Amino acid sequence: MPRYSKENRVLSLLIVGLLAWLVPGAGHLMLKEKKRAIIIFAAVVLTFCIGLYIGSIGVIDLFGTSAIYVKVAQFMNPPVAVALGYCTDGGAYPVYGWPNEIGQVYTMTSGLLNLLCIVNAVYLAYLCRTEMAGC
Amino acid sequence: MSMIAAFVMASFTVPEKIGAEPQSMLWLLPLAAAIAVVYKATKLPKITAGNFLKETAILFCSIVVIYTIAALVLFALAWLVIE
Repeated sequence: MPRYSKENRVLSLLIVGLLAWLVPGAGHLMLKEKKRAIIIFAAVVLTFCIGLYIGSIGVIDLFGTSAIYVKVAQFMNPPVAVALGYCTDGGAYPVYGWPNEIGQVYTMTSGLLNLLCIVNAVYLAYLCRTEMAGC
Repeated sequence: MSMIAAFVMASFTVPEKIGAEPQSMLWLLPLAAAIAVVYKATKLPKITAGNFLKETAILFCSIVVIYTIAALVLFALAWLVIE
């Protein structure tokens, strides 16, 4: 069984976490959890897209006047959310009322679900590296 | 740009028309389904189609029941305050 140095372990955990943030499910795919990766990718992306469909891309408000918890939760989405945040900066796509609220709830939830998957992927990677699990 | 691509992009730049109606609460159901699917995908030790669907359905129903109870409690509180 190969032993990993502490630096290598930390680096691999960082890579898994970064991959999981960049593409939902990619962290699990790296750990050879293909089924989990596909399910996570489909669910997170679909939730995010439903939010954008309901409220338009204007619900992504990373640099606007939204509450801080909205921004933090939306930032947990893949980087495409940050790119959309730049596009919608300055109120180019105004959205109000229920579509705004429901769209924000969906995009925030997809971000928080992605965060859950990032933490889970890093934890699984930690278990694998410390040889506590049968990976 | 093809017509289909333009139509898809337009769908994401204009918000849907959703009013403050009881039917709007149905938008909670896809959200509950997404939460149940992702949570069970991270928690189940081994994923098989039957087991995954069963566990997800149980969690989905639990979330909907909790939603309903919370809505009823809030409705009762609002009724008490108004009356």
